Amino acid sequence: MQNDGAGRDSAPLVVMEGVTKRFPGVVANEDVSLELRAGEIHALIGENGAGKSTLMRVLYGIYPSDGGRVFVRGKELKLSSPRVAIANGIGMVHQHFVLVDPFTVTENIILGDEGGRRLDLAAANERVAELAESFGFSVDPTAKVEDLSVGEEQRVEILKALYRGVEILILDEPTAVLTPQETRELFGNLLRLRESGKTIVFISHKLDEVLEIADRITVLRRGKVVGETTPAETSKAQLAEMMVGRPVLFRLEKPTVELGEPVLQVEGLTGGRLHGVDITVRSGEIVGVAGVEGNGQRELAEALIGLTKPDAGRVLLEGKDLAGWSVEEVRNAGVAFIPEDRHEQGLVLAMSLWENAVLGRQDDAEFSGRVVLLIKKIKELAADLIRRFDVRARNINVNAGTLSGGNQQKLILARELETDPRLLVAAQPTRGLDVGAIEFVWKQILEQKAAGRAVLLISAELDEIYALSDRIVTLYEGKITGEFSPDAEPEAIGVGMTGSRSEEHV
Amino acid sequence: MAASTIAASARREKLAEIGMQVAAFLIALGIALGIGSLIIIGYGDSPLAVYSAVVRFSFGSLDGLARMLVIATPLIFSALAVSVCYKAAMFNIGVEGQYIVGMGVATVAAAHFGFLGVFQFPAVLVFAMIGGMAYAAIPAVLKVKTGAHEVVTTIMLNGIAISLLAWALRGPLKFTDAAGAFNINLRSDLFPNSAMAPNLGHYLGVGTDVPLNLLLPIAVACSVLVWFLLKRTRLGYEARAVGSSPGSARVGGISIGAVQIKVFLISGALAGLVGMQQILGLNNYLPLNYEAGLGFTGIAVAFLGQNNPFGIIAAAVMWAVLARGQDAILIETTVPVEIIIILQAILILTVVVAFQVAKRRISRRRLRLAAVQDQDFEDADEEAA
Repeated sequence: MQNDGAGRDSAPLVVMEGVTKRFPGVVANEDVSLELRAGEIHALIGENGAGKSTLMRVLYGIYPSDGGRVFVRGKELKLSSPRVAIANGIGMVHQHFVLVDPFTVTENIILGDEGGRRLDLAAANERVAELAESFGFSVDPTAKVEDLSVGEEQRVEILKALYRGVEILILDEPTAVLTPQETRELFGNLLRLRESGKTIVFISHKLDEVLEIADRITVLRRGKVVGETTPAETSKAQLAEMMVGRPVLFRLEKPTVELGEPVLQVEGLTGGRLHGVDITVRSGEIVGVAGVEGNGQRELAEALIGLTKPDAGRVLLEGKDLAGWSVEEVRNAGVAFIPEDRHEQGLVLAMSLWENAVLGRQDDAEFSGRVVLLIKKIKELAADLIRRFDVRARNINVNAGTLSGGNQQKLILARELETDPRLLVAAQPTRGLDVGAIEFVWKQILEQKAAGRAVLLISAELDEIYALSDRIVTLYEGKITGEFSPDAEPEAIGVGMTGSRSEEHV
Repeated sequence: MAASTIAASARREKLAEIGMQVAAFLIALGIALGIGSLIIIGYGDSPLAVYSAVVRFSFGSLDGLARMLVIATPLIFSALAVSVCYKAAMFNIGVEGQYIVGMGVATVAAAHFGFLGVFQFPAVLVFAMIGGMAYAAIPAVLKVKTGAHEVVTTIMLNGIAISLLAWALRGPLKFTDAAGAFNINLRSDLFPNSAMAPNLGHYLGVGTDVPLNLLLPIAVACSVLVWFLLKRTRLGYEARAVGSSPGSARVGGISIGAVQIKVFLISGALAGLVGMQQILGLNNYLPLNYEAGLGFTGIAVAFLGQNNPFGIIAAAVMWAVLARGQDAILIETTVPVEIIIILQAILILTVVVAFQVAKRRISRRRLRLAAVQDQDFEDADEEAA
């Protein structure tokens, strides 16, 4: 390591040199070199499968590397397990939290590090409170984890690492599970951690966030480093091109379509979180429902598809009242649905692609007799869908659970759009997808518009709402709080999303 | 051309996965026999002698083979009943009660429908299935309408079924012939020949005194039907979807309650057939001291057979070999008979563990193969971590 006059402080804290990690049949990381400097927020970006998580799991000692060396504070280390990594001040917060739900925050934090034979919870609570205080984290040490929001759980995970004296904190896609407000709060916390000298690795594929929070950015593609840059030197478009390997369009051309008759009329829909929601969508129109999740988005989508029965109000599809219709009947009437949760409401992960391809149409005469499924027909359908929607899978017999998120979403899109629906209800259609897949989904939704179908887009991503919608409404606490044209200022829409008129003055 | 190579590679993968499962089973069997050997040696006998006696009793002669298969038959029905529900994520602990009720209902047809002639035997089976189904309808409807968990309700109903049959044997089903009064055990009327399961003994050349009967091929046919139901029919498809992802099934327009009730009724119908070997094969009447517990054994056999309709046949045979082995051990060796029960228990344990390990390896392998195609390592990472 050379000290080029900048002094010891600029010496990298962690150096990964030529790291290679192979899985049988694939090279996840090939000759990757990476430097982390003390006190920086270092973003590691790339598409799903680019090898970001793998690289960090090598650093965290989960995977032994097949080549290359790792230096921490100038000393070469053999990171054989997370225990060794933690001992050397390296901690990682996984995308899926590993917390014990019925335990309190403190119990979770000290788990595995209780110290001594006797458990002094009061003292531990105090220590945790102090620790949280010192980094400005708001968290109640005695609260049970099962009562916490996702954002709070994440804070507990970070505290768990800090409690063990971690200096280098790896966060694997920390914002994928957060609402916009929670993301803001996380960023505030990260900046405070940086101030106190911690080094943070921020794995993401959300470019806006990376540009906002990172000090330096390393881009991976197909297991290799394709570039290193800083937010000041680059742009969203540049980063996207580095990640994907080709230019990516963030603004797609909206097709101009003559708006037709109303396809969907929601009148005074009330039930669950919803209070008197009115929405109309015409054929050839995309109406975007903007808003922070938990304000009735899920309830709205579920009422439209017939999963829940509203307490009051009407849902009309081409003038027909859907009251009392089953999901099956609503689907047969021409409503397609992209659920916000692919795994819980979209696919049966333990079943094959062809079995998933027909889900929702298993009772069509085309695919099933009175008793027996017409498997040959279904497999033809599946093979056709997979080819046309470019679902990357070895064959139609593999389980849906083996696909990547982007390919799973493509499979759902293919299935839902194949029915030639009158109305598409798309709830958070690009959640967790990478840039390339988002572009694909957006194009498909715009194609629905071009084909004269009505689309109700429910999304927490304002970018997405802007990119696709002809008209924007905001949903806050179960009420429609505003209607906007896509030319409206984001701030104006933000007011609708938070419901607070007072913020207009801010 | 590309399509055919893909199909070939898919077939190869499928074979490799089956190979892994077979290997897992053999390893589990080896471990179980190994532990059993230690216990046998502890009793001062030779494991080889004990095991060979057990195997000889079932496979050493046609007669032995037939008797073993007779024991296996009700276990196949019972395990199938358990597995059908299991596929839809329901746990039918009530096979026990359902077959007891099934025997009672079947006895009505067996004792009184002699006028049906050759059609009496199938009629008795239908009655047995209706009995099992009707009794399964109770927990099914309670589950769907009120949310009462089927494990709790079926356990309770098992107790009721025992008392119900005891009452019936003292009342409506009680013998009416003079000879019945000389029996120590309470029983029903004797059944006419036309009610009995037709004997297959002469086809195997073992004579009709070996009670191998038509129920065995019926059980095998039921396995095929259950496989067909699960893999080829719409109901089976919906049941599996409900079983592994209720949310996605609901959004897919599947009525979960309707599917659960149908599956439970099918399970009950299969359960109804469990008791037929006793009353139509081994005896020609329903005694009060009928063999109980077959419903619970079915749970063990279903798990041993990995809830696969064909795995269940193999598991039932294995169980029956061990059950017959009790006689072998009693006659030919000095170790206590309980060694068999220990072996059965160890076998379940090792097989379940081995298959779990194999399953994990297979799913990791699938993810890895998917990653090759997709260049997507993230999911595989998740799995490995």
